Amino acid sequence: MIDTRHKINFDASKCVGCKLCYKACFVDVIRWDEEKKKPVFKYVEDCEHCFYCASVCKKGCIEVVPDYSSEKLLQTFDRYL
Amino acid sequence: MDMTYGREDHKTDVLVVGGGIGGLAAAVSIKELAPELDVMIVEKQTAGYSGKANKGGGVLQYFDLTRIKPEDFVAYHAANIGCFLGDQDLMKTYVSMNNHMLDKLVEWGARLPKRADGGYDVVPTGPMTAMIGVDLDITLKIRQTAEKMGVKVLDKVTVSDLLTANGRIAGAVGYSILDGKFYTFNAKAVVLATGSQNYRIGPMWSSGRGDGIAAAYRAGAEMRNAEFGNFAQLVKVRSHHEVVFGENYMYNKNDVHITKNFRTHPEPDISSTAVAEWYKQISADLGPIILKEEKAPGGGIYGIWDRPYGQTFWRLNEESGAAIDVDAEVCPMLIGEQSPLKVGHDMMTTIPGLYAVGDVSYCGSAAPGAVPAPPARNRGSGILNAVFAGIMCSQSAVDTAKGIGMPDVDEAQIEACAERVYAPLKRKSGASSKDVIRLVQKAIGPVEQSVYMSAHRIDTALKYVEKAKELAKELAADDFHELLSCHEAEAMVLCAEMQFRAARLRRESRGWFLREDYPEMDNENWLKWIIVKKHGDEMVFVTEDVPYEKWPIRPL
Ligand SMILES: Cc1cc2nc3c(=O)[nH]c(=O)nc-3n(C[C@H](O)[C@H](O)[C@H](O)COP(=O)(O)OP(=O)(O)OC[C@H]3O[C@@H](n4cnc5c(N)ncnc54)[C@H](O)[C@@H]3O)c2cc1C
Ligand code: SF4
Ligand code: SF4
Repeated sequence: MIDTRHKINFDASKCVGCKLCYKACFVDVIRWDEEKKKPVFKYVEDCEHCFYCASVCKKGCIEVVPDYSSEKLLQTFDRYL
Repeated sequence: MDMTYGREDHKTDVLVVGGGIGGLAAAVSIKELAPELDVMIVEKQTAGYSGKANKGGGVLQYFDLTRIKPEDFVAYHAANIGCFLGDQDLMKTYVSMNNHMLDKLVEWGARLPKRADGGYDVVPTGPMTAMIGVDLDITLKIRQTAEKMGVKVLDKVTVSDLLTANGRIAGAVGYSILDGKFYTFNAKAVVLATGSQNYRIGPMWSSGRGDGIAAAYRAGAEMRNAEFGNFAQLVKVRSHHEVVFGENYMYNKNDVHITKNFRTHPEPDISSTAVAEWYKQISADLGPIILKEEKAPGGGIYGIWDRPYGQTFWRLNEESGAAIDVDAEVCPMLIGEQSPLKVGHDMMTTIPGLYAVGDVSYCGSAAPGAVPAPPARNRGSGILNAVFAGIMCSQSAVDTAKGIGMPDVDEAQIEACAERVYAPLKRKSGASSKDVIRLVQKAIGPVEQSVYMSAHRIDTALKYVEKAKELAKELAADDFHELLSCHEAEAMVLCAEMQFRAARLRRESRGWFLREDYPEMDNENWLKWIIVKKHGDEMVFVTEDVPYEKWPIRPL
């Protein structure tokens, strides 16, 4: 998947700075702000909507909203581009 | 040397590249045999979190070895799945070690649900095969075990090249994806565990994007079965969620059960003929193809076992698909899974001291035969193959590390690597990695080019690859995240080139490998492995005879 338009909603007020979401992201979408002790969703266009960050967050701060239409199927027929 | 981003040098007896299940199993197995050796894992994301084992179905293949003889499974596999291209000795060892590997996983901290009487909770899947569950914290638990044993872990550092000296491995170099710092690793043995090439098409897959394969290729390692990098799965058209075993329930717009066109008896897992059938039906304007699946009650396999860690992950995925999948229309999606590092039974590559385990070498080991691996039409074998390879490499890696002194590293070689690595950052303008990747995807994505092939369609794919290759010479990046993407794009071009050029050579159909222009299996000419290797700046292809005479199951 490249250039996806998945959205990530983050509720900073509930975040306890445990860093688990940052560790969980396997494609470097999430960076860590050392000063604020909070995640930064820096490369959202590379998100593969795996939901791992949301599932490890014990505080329910993260909502991943996939836009599946932005993922290409890459078949030759118009319907499945 | 340009020190703009800083440099850090490390020495270790054994360097493991990649902290997924394969790298972790290798590191722990090596430490078990030789606690005195220094073992270091370098991982481009976060070891224990980043591999695929913790984002999957959580299923392990199980053989009841009190009932099934390994040679019986090998006989079935060689004739029906591997189609005589598989190394039957290696497959037999893999099956024989099944119960031992499961016990090892438990010892290393993985949670495998058990029954009240203490036995594994087994679900039969066929006359000889069965599956058991594993919770998705498997790699986290094994990382903890590895660190307790003294394995050092370096996260967020990607290995970009391997170092060689006097014809053997001498270490590796890489950089931090956070601050760009350059790293050198001097090692006596290196275990490559960087996963397969997925071409970044199917979602949710690997953070291994062929950069390990490309590094090994540049260092001179041979590849085998590169043409089997074309796994495709049926997915729901809207959510792109895969539908495992959906090929059994395919119906066209006239409500005809088209599975009957390619399948006369129950078969294990999806076949390339199912993918080809989809293509033929859509070409004949008989689509859309809909699945009419008889749903098992209880939410599929996710509800069977007690696996608390994975539940939220599976639930979120399932809910997001259910919200958008208004019907069961499917189409194939390329997953790739090219895994071509050629290795022997001890998982050593053709470069002495360099080992390759797990998804980076599954097809290259020749164990699965004529199928893309994983899953190799052998569900639940991905994780266990990685564990198997990790264990199988350990004794030889220990012997290597104990048997030689620290190899010299060549500063000129290091400098050349650094120059290559940072080149995209130095270009003020140029091609974006995404443009290059998109061209590769145009080659590999359409299933008539990569799965249901013909010479003409392979040539069309190669034209896209050539364009991508040209564009890749001008890749530009403005930060380290993008730099990594550039290197992954280069690796995708390389992997696609070897895949299509090898596919062009194999003029037959065998197992998963399907050519419209050569529809028959040709045992007279093609009981051969195609080997790919770098020679100077050329990509060269040679064939090696499959030594089938020495194995019990032979073609008629
Ligand atoms: C959705 C899904 C479902 C699956 N379900 C199952 C299942 O139920 N059962 C089963 O047995 N198998 C399953 N599999 C397959 C199985 O997960 C894999 O076969 C197995 O995890 C491969 O392990 P690995 O360590 O070889 O590779 P990976 O898990 O891909 O790990 C490779 C690691 O190397 C790192 N890396 C890559 N390149 C570099 C570099 N240049 N430098 C440093 N580090 C690098 C990566 O970040 C990654 O952490 C599934 C896979 C997926 C994606
Ligand atoms: S959903 Fe997955 S890929 Fe996307 S940000 Fe979260 S962990 Fe990363
Ligand atoms: S996992 Fe949740 S609580 Fe922890 S740092 Fe991330 S957002 Fe904050």
